[in-house]
Amino acid sequence: MAFITVKNLRKVYKLGKEKVYALKQIDLEIKRGEICCILGTSGSGKSTLLNMLAGLEKPTRGDIFINGVNIAQLSESKLARFRQENTGFIFQSYNLIGQFNALENVGMPLMFKGYPKAKRDKLAAKMLKLVGLGKRLRHRPNQMSGGQQQRVGIARAFVAKPKVVFADEPTGNLDTKTTDEVMRLMVRMCRKYNITLIIVTHDLEIAAYADRIVHIIDGEITSIEENTSIYSPEEDEENTSISEVKST
Amino acid sequence: MKIYDMISICFRNLWRRKGRTMLTVIGVVIGSCAVIVMISLGLGMSQAMDNMLASWGDLTSVTIYGGSRGGMFDEGSSSSKTTEKPRLDDSALEIFKAMEDVEDIVPKMELSSEMVVTTSGRNDRYLLSYTTIVGIDFTQFDKLGYEAEQGILPDENNKKDSIVFGLEVPYSFTDTKKHGEAAYARKTELPDGTVTPPFIDPIADDFKIAIVNTKKTNEDGSHPVGGKGYEYTLHGTSVLKQDTMWETPYSMFIDIELAKDIMEAYNKLNNVKNAKAPEYTQVKLLCKDINSVDAVQKAVTDLGYNATSMAQVRQQMQGELGVIQLVLGGLAAISLLVAAISITNTMIMSIYERTKEIGIMKVLGCYIGNIRLMFLMEAGMIGLLGGIIGTVISYGISIIMNSFAGSAFSEALGIYTEGDAGQVSIIPLWLVLLALVFSTIIGLISGYYPANRAVKISALEAIRNE
Ligand SMILES: Nc1ncnc2c1ncn2[C@@H]1O[C@H](COP(=O)(O)OP(=O)(O)OP(=O)(O)O)[C@@H](O)[C@H]1O
Ligand SMILES: [Mg+2]
Repeated sequence: MAFITVKNLRKVYKLGKEKVYALKQIDLEIKRGEICCILGTSGSGKSTLLNMLAGLEKPTRGDIFINGVNIAQLSESKLARFRQENTGFIFQSYNLIGQFNALENVGMPLMFKGYPKAKRDKLAAKMLKLVGLGKRLRHRPNQMSGGQQQRVGIARAFVAKPKVVFADEPTGNLDTKTTDEVMRLMVRMCRKYNITLIIVTHDLEIAAYADRIVHIIDGEITSIEENTSIYSPEEDEENTSISEVKST
Repeated sequence: MKIYDMISICFRNLWRRKGRTMLTVIGVVIGSCAVIVMISLGLGMSQAMDNMLASWGDLTSVTIYGGSRGGMFDEGSSSSKTTEKPRLDDSALEIFKAMEDVEDIVPKMELSSEMVVTTSGRNDRYLLSYTTIVGIDFTQFDKLGYEAEQGILPDENNKKDSIVFGLEVPYSFTDTKKHGEAAYARKTELPDGTVTPPFIDPIADDFKIAIVNTKKTNEDGSHPVGGKGYEYTLHGTSVLKQDTMWETPYSMFIDIELAKDIMEAYNKLNNVKNAKAPEYTQVKLLCKDINSVDAVQKAVTDLGYNATSMAQVRQQMQGELGVIQLVLGGLAAISLLVAAISITNTMIMSIYERTKEIGIMKVLGCYIGNIRLMFLMEAGMIGLLGGIIGTVISYGISIIMNSFAGSAFSEALGIYTEGDAGQVSIIPLWLVLLALVFSTIIGLISGYYPANRAVKISALEAIRNE
């Protein structure tokens, strides 16, 4: 069985008497360590699919197995535990906690896991160095640029070494150059820790970083495309850590 | 999630909205102050009441009245059945003595004023009038609480022929050789601070108690005394201090054995047929402790006696005081209720502001239990802070009330205390602890609904909310 298996998935929103078929019929398999891109136009149901994969929403019908567990059947509290142990999340609008500095934001998933503060800070600092923010540990989100904030978000998603990271338009608010940096960073992280990445976008440029591209139109998968010209982090091995100069 | 982290987040959130937090805390401060001060006043009142009762008599004793005399706080119901009442004599004392919780027995026997004539001086010049003669056990002065003002109290060795006077009794001797005003001794204070002496010396003179013979009648309608064999010559030993219950000043005391002898001699002289054993006028049972008083009193009344105790009076007064305290406490509780509502309001606002934050935490895998606990802690902390500050301020208020209002306050509340004005407001340690625990619980209860609301926030909705 694949790492993630989606079977017969459907999501229907009821607005009064009207039914909105956000997802009509989805069947999908994703391997461990794969970088999978869900590509589609606005309103095609990408976010809906991702949210259901992450267990944030219950499907109307169908099953989602992650690592052998059917998360569509889990209770709220079991889902919380599942997310804590297996998933990371990267948002389009970063969603950092405003009153926490970078170190504390990155340490949050570890805090929920019950790590003591010293250990948390050590791991978070290491992660922030890895994303090139080693000098901004004590900065609050509103003291950082969008790109920097998103890198904090990435550090937060990866810090607990999850099995799968979900990213919903992670570069939607960033310029092209920063988008490139952020994407390379994410891919590098996934490769390094063998983490599965599911990334939602409408941007073909971004899709280029993925192993596989799932095309989705009106709540249905139209085609799945293997990416041949994959970006490999080894290519810029010399450049692994994005320098501070670049990021500022 | 570590409890330490939750506490730290809770404090950060409170600190983030300092102004709002302080305002909410002030609400709790006012509420807890009101409750503490009201309860402390109640405690002050009940202490004042206890002091007052203690000045009236011993809380661990039960007093039984003989004959038709009722007690001070007699309810009337038991005295209506006087005909069936058992005799309060020596055999009754034996029964009381056998009772488990009774430690000691203090009997009193009053001689009717028509039974004897008390005189002193040559040819019985000085005659005692208007005075009750009371037989008490001369070895029980400490238990009766009687102390000597002048002279030395009699003991085992000289009790049979001793007399002890109440404070005013020496002045009740009249001079039979004089007429009009001159026949009476007046107790007046002289310029040098001393008082005028009575006709007799209560701690040096001899006194004669003679039994009246009612079978004969004098020309003026009075009865002559019985003469030889029916007279007792006693020695004055001491004068008692004024007692708090005003029992002693107008009584003359002889030993209880002598009183019994006089009773029996009277019956013999006057040929009283079928004379029964002399009855005591009053018997005080000293109980083991305050808790056994009820049982003893019940046992005694079950036997048909008229018994009262200070403990019973205390219970009644406590009941009335309890109502006052309840009213005061209820008023205070209203202000605490207002504070509780304001905590709920603050927490709801705070959750509204932090919807997104809560959503992020959920998405990142925070247990809902932890989220609930964080908000409950915040609410509880507001309560606890209010309780702590409220306690400190209440101490201040208590000190101010005690030093300024003092006696005026207790008089206004209708409580009169002997000597020491007492504390108007008392804050014992348990009240402090209770206030802290209670205000924290109020906080927790107020935070319960908002915390559940926080838990129910949909993570997806929250993070979608831009
Ligand atoms: N909570 C909801 N209630 C009703 N309809 C919804 C809800 N969420 C999504 N939809 C509908 O489901 C469809 C898919 O929405 P979804 O957010 O998945 O689109 P998307 O592919 O992520 O679009 P975009 O690229 O603009 O983010 C849309 O037609 C949307 O109107
Ligand atoms: Mg979307």
